[in-house]
Formats: sequence, structure tokens, C-alpha cells
Amino acid sequence: MRLQIRNLRKHYAAPVLRGLNLQLDAGAIHAIVGENGAGKTTLLKILSGLTPADSGTVVLDGAPWAAKNPKAAQRAGLSLCSQELSLIDNLSVAENIGLRALPGRLRLDRATLHRRCRELLDRFQLDLAPDQLVGTLNLAERQMVELAKTLNSEARLLLLDEPTSALNDQQARALHAMLQKRANNGVSILYVSHRLNDVLQLCDHVWVLRDGEVVHNAPSEQLTVAEVIRHMSGKEKLAQPAIAAQRHGSVHLSVRNLLTRNMRQPVSLDCHRGEIFGLAGLMGAGRTELLEAIYGLVAHTSGRVELLHADKRIGLTGVNDAVKHGVGMVPESRASQGIFRGLSVAFNATIAQLGRVASRHLLSRRREATAVDALIRRLNVKCEGGDQSIEALSGGNQQKVILARWLHRECSLLLLDEPTRGVDVGAKFAIHDLLRALRDQGVCIVVASSELQELLALCDRIAVMSAGRMISTFERDSFDQEKILEAAFSAHNTTQMA
Amino acid sequence: MSRRLLRWLDQYLVMVSLLVIILTFTLAAENFLSYGTLSAILNQLPALTLVTVGMTFVLICGGIDLSVGSVLALSAAVIGVTVAAGFSIPVAALAGVATGAVAGLVNGLLGSYLRLPVFIVTLGMLEAARGFAYLITDSQTVYIGSAIQGLVQPIPWLALTPAFLCALVVVAVAHFVLTATVFGRHIIAVGTNPEAARMSGIDPKLTLLIVLCISGVLAGLAGLMNSAYLGSTDPNAGLGLELAAIAAAVIGGTSLMGGRGSIFSAFIGVLIIAVLQNGLAQIGVSEPFKRVVTGVVIVLAVVLDRWRADRVP
Repeated sequence: MRLQIRNLRKHYAAPVLRGLNLQLDAGAIHAIVGENGAGKTTLLKILSGLTPADSGTVVLDGAPWAAKNPKAAQRAGLSLCSQELSLIDNLSVAENIGLRALPGRLRLDRATLHRRCRELLDRFQLDLAPDQLVGTLNLAERQMVELAKTLNSEARLLLLDEPTSALNDQQARALHAMLQKRANNGVSILYVSHRLNDVLQLCDHVWVLRDGEVVHNAPSEQLTVAEVIRHMSGKEKLAQPAIAAQRHGSVHLSVRNLLTRNMRQPVSLDCHRGEIFGLAGLMGAGRTELLEAIYGLVAHTSGRVELLHADKRIGLTGVNDAVKHGVGMVPESRASQGIFRGLSVAFNATIAQLGRVASRHLLSRRREATAVDALIRRLNVKCEGGDQSIEALSGGNQQKVILARWLHRECSLLLLDEPTRGVDVGAKFAIHDLLRALRDQGVCIVVASSELQELLALCDRIAVMSAGRMISTFERDSFDQEKILEAAFSAHNTTQMA
Repeated sequence: MSRRLLRWLDQYLVMVSLLVIILTFTLAAENFLSYGTLSAILNQLPALTLVTVGMTFVLICGGIDLSVGSVLALSAAVIGVTVAAGFSIPVAALAGVATGAVAGLVNGLLGSYLRLPVFIVTLGMLEAARGFAYLITDSQTVYIGSAIQGLVQPIPWLALTPAFLCALVVVAVAHFVLTATVFGRHIIAVGTNPEAARMSGIDPKLTLLIVLCISGVLAGLAGLMNSAYLGSTDPNAGLGLELAAIAAAVIGGTSLMGGRGSIFSAFIGVLIIAVLQNGLAQIGVSEPFKRVVTGVVIVLAVVLDRWRADRVP
């Protein structure tokens, strides 16, 4: 037994791993699959020493193992290829690949470095010069280099997190052939991927994670893609909240063939007044990119975004335009795009519409206090008052303040990217209730979420994106978790990505 | 220490420091705490005060303006040359301030719309403006005459000069703009988190552009004050002034990372530097040692500020 994990637990804001058990033999390739947030990445992070577990035991080749840090994990023979690439742009391909153990005593032995690099690149069928700077590579090439870096070690256990997300089929096959060879030499591999066809072909055994637990495990030859998806989503049909499909109003947001440099395919969609429109999809499906394009954060290369008022069509070209015409966005990354750190709740809540607490550019403290107090009450923000620093608040309450910002502005269109990520359950339901209330007042709401349950509970319609493409749209009465998941996986299994 | 005391210190730390320094010199030197001494110190300050106000705006907005000293010299040079060409003082003053505005506009356009780092753009302006100042004055001091010196004649019953009072008004207005207007909020928002500001419908580029223009205008105005002080224009005026202004802003608790700072506290920072310089001179400390002390005070101010930020909830 190479690796044995017993009762592994990890808790961030909410439990991520709840008593996970898993075994892996020497020379075996095992797959870990699951929906977003099932705990796959956290498991790999714990094994490779990036984060400690709360409890549970890990046994590596018969000896207890707890990685203190990534360096210790590497020395113990664990090598992680993570989703967030860890390459250094200003170093060459060879230097990046060899970074963990550069040859040479004092002077860098370039010849040896380049020779070793050349061998690895050849095996990947990758036509790159060893001295090319990594900063000049495209995404697929960078992922290959990252993989080469991972494989350039005498590891006994390889941890691969979505190693093929940017690769085309041919590149993925080359990778798989190499992994197979390593496995034959006794290396064990944990392989996390959304490309389920690949998983079933490559791996000996599949572990299905859901909500931080293993819900099913079986040898690959006993499984089909459909079965895996069924296990991932959970067999028991979830009781749908008894909300009838909302009769929505006229079209408010019209997007036609919208494309930016961050998007892979042009997208069109219509959203109505009084509708919550969901965007489902896997990590990297292009939901965030779409929302950012609608909001105008990235320049449009083609297509149109229009707001339809009674008799006018207003074309939106940039973010200032959007905010001016009543569009608000709650970004995915609260810390870097949402809050103003070190400043008060009041500052954060009113910044998008200071006109309502000022007359002729002069701020009125009294009007600000009244407005902020009303917002705090309406959203039930737990804080000492408007003067408190926003950093002192919990994640959920910070998120409420960002929502308050757009309530204060009285938006007609709200774009929300992962509105309840890192938010505790209580605040999550409060946010859902608030969004429903806004919907009932006629606001048009677009929500992107990795959490399918959230979209199913909240939305009147759900559009599914996969690998940058809009795959299909489901009306509330035809919501079907398995079909939605199937659609979300569809393009990842077949397309060749650039 | 009690929480309330910490809160109070948080707000008035800079003020308290200034008072402590004044008190120290009062004990160490005779006649330091006299209206004559203090007003004499204040009357030296208009130029530094004005550029410090501009610098504080720029720092809070997340930028930096290294060109203020050179822009001061260039504006002063324009004033001198304009007067020498036979124009009246008001016209010359206007030309000087306009020169500062143009320099600030160029900084702003390059820094925000061409997305060049503001540090580099204003470093370039530091060299270029100084060069222009030498060019248009032919590297000579240009005599202006006594007409302009009305600005620096102390008002008899107050012992303060119109120039200093003017700087004081600028401090008050700037403090008001930063704390009580929509534009002030925008500056703080952009300096704290430009991306979040953009998502809230604020234009970070435009905000930085305006702030750099303000800094340019104030440097131009400081050029006028400097000419008045000297009665002539010196193309070497304001050498190193940008660093004195940054030091004053930092002593006043302004963060070089943007988002945090206060105009009023920066002004107190100016006073601290001035009182230190004069007080040390009065107790007979040598010029080199004065510089050592000033350097220590700047670093000490930041250490205190850190300590405060860590402790105050």
C-alpha cells in the first residue's frame, strides 16, 4: 500500500473534508472526481504540505506522514502539479523545469540543464527551445512545462490537479502515455480531472467525492461516464423548494455575439426583468469572463450588450457606462475587487452612489448615516455600526455590504459572480432571500455559481457553459441536475482547446 | 493602555509629537517658545506646505509625484522671464501657475492614459522640468524686484506673511476636499483598491490625472511663493523638495501604498520638520547632525505609525 488516508478532516469557513478515506497501491493510477467544491483540491493541498489537515491520518509506504511544507513533501517523494501554475515568467523553460534541483555547484551547469530539459520536452512531443522564456508561452505550453517540472523528479507519488485543462487531445494522450510508463515503474498517481472519458481510460480506479466524503469508489472498468456523473451529483433527488416558475417581465438585458479577448466563443443571451438567470459550468467554463464582458471590464472585440428600457435601447460599452445606467456587479474575488480594506462599512456601502448622500459634491454625514443604518438593518449586517472597519466583519457580512452598495444605487441589473463563496450558511440564505426579494421587485439578476445546488434553489432559468461555450438553457420546470452536469462536462470531453 | 486612550492617540499622535518637540526645544533653548520665533519659522514654509498638500493627494491616490521641486523651479523661472519681458506681476504669476498645471497634466496623461508607472513619469519630469528651468533662464538668477515681495511682508499685527496665510487656506480647502466631498472619496477609493473603484463606477485614470494636475498647480503656486521669498528666480530652487514633501506626508501618517493619509496631518508633518530644523540650529547642532536627526525622525514616524496601526482596533 503506497498511500492510505483515514478519516481526513479539514474545515475552512465551512467543512471541506469530512472524514475522507482513500487507499492507493504502488504503481497504480487512481482518479479523484467530483463537482466543484467537493474537496479534491484541498485533499491534494494537504498531501503536498500547502495546508495542514485538522485531523485524520495519512500513511505513506507504511509510515505516518504529515507534510509540514511543500519542500518536505518534495523530499519525501511527493510531487504536485497544481491548477494554479507556479511558473516564473522571467526564467527560461529549462530553468523552470529544473528549478527544484538546478545542476551545477556554484555556476549553473547550463549544458546538463538543457540536455535534461530536451529529453523531457521530447517525451512530451513539445517543440520548445529550452532557453525560451516561459512568459512567451501560451496557456497549453505553460501547462506542459508545469507538468514536465512535476515529472522531473524522483517522485513516488504524483499529485496532478486538472493536468489537462488547457491541453488538446493529442497533448493529453502524450501525457497519459508518460504517466502510464511511470506507473509501470512503480510510481503511484492521484489524478484529478473533469475530463471523465480520459479518467476512465487512464485510471485503474475511480474515487467519487461529494461534500468532502468519498461517496463511491470502483475500478474504472466497472463504471461509465453517466454513472460517475450520477454519483457525483448524488442519487437522491433533492427536494426542490416549492417555488413556481416566476412569470418574468420583458427582456431587460440583451447580449448578442459578445466576445472579448478573454472569451473563447461569442455568447448571446437575454435576461428579463424580475428574473434570476443562472450561469452554471465547471471551473474555467468562462462564466466570470462572460460577466466581466457584460459589465464592460474588458473591451469588447465584437458583439453588443444592450439594456432595454421601455422604449430605449442603451448600448453598454464600458464599466462607467454600465454603472451609470444602473448595472451593478458583485465580483468573484471579494478581497481584490470588492472591498476597500481599512475603510469603514459606510464608505464601502455608499461608494458607488455618493450622489445620494451628498448635495452638490458635498457629503452630508447625516444623510450618509441614515442611509447606511437603513442598509445595515435591511440586510441584517452584523457590525457595530457604519463607522466600523469592513475588515473586522466576517466574509458573509462583507459580502452583504457589497450587495448593500448596489442596493444603495438601486440597480436594474445585478451581475453576481459566486455571491456566496466563503460565506457561512446563515448569510448564504439571507443573501438568497434578498436576491429573491429584488427579483420580485423587478430587478434583473444574473448569477454565476460553481455550486449547482445554489443555482437550482435560486434561479428561474439556468444556462450552462462548458469550455467557453453556451451549451444549453434550462427552464425552472425542466431543471435536471444530471442533465445540467452532463452539459457542463460536454465540451470539456470533446473540444480541442486553443 | 485603555482602548479609548489608543483611539485618541490614533487621531492626535502627530499633533502630540509636534507639541512634545516644541516643548523639548523650549526647555533646551531660551526664547524658543516666543511668537517671534514661531512666526519666523512659519513664514519660511509656504512653498513646502503647498507641495506637501499636492504630494499627499497624489500619495493617497496611490501615486507619487517626484517632479514637484523641478516644477516649482520651472514655474518660478517662467515668472521671472515673464516679468523681465515687461508683463505685470499678476500676469506672470498666472503664467507660473499655468506652467505647473501643464506639467501636472503631462504627468497625468503619461501616467494614467499611457499606463506608464507614475514613479518613472514624474522622475522624467523631475529632470526635464529642471532642464527647461535652466534653458529659459540661461542658468542665471533672474531679478524680479520688490513688487512681488508684498507676498512675503509680514502683516504687522499678525507677524505672518500673506504667502503663509495663502498656504494655510490651501491646507484648509484641501483637507475639506479630501474629507467632505465626493471627489475626496474617489481619491481614497482609487488609492485603496483601484480595481474595486473601477467596479464601483469610478474612473481611476481620470482621478489620478486630476490629482496629478492639482499637484502641478500647487507646485506652480509654490514657485510663485519661492520667487516672492527671494525677490528673484533661481533655477536651482526647490532642489530635493520632493523628498522633503514625501517626508512631511509620511510623518503625517500618509501611506506610500495609497488610500490612507490626511492633509492636516501632513501639514503638521511640515511643521515637525521645520521646528526640528530651526530648533536644532538654535541649540547649536551642526548641519550634518541635523540631517541625521531628521532622517531618524522620518523612520521613527513610520515605526510609530505601524505600532499604532497594529494596536488600534
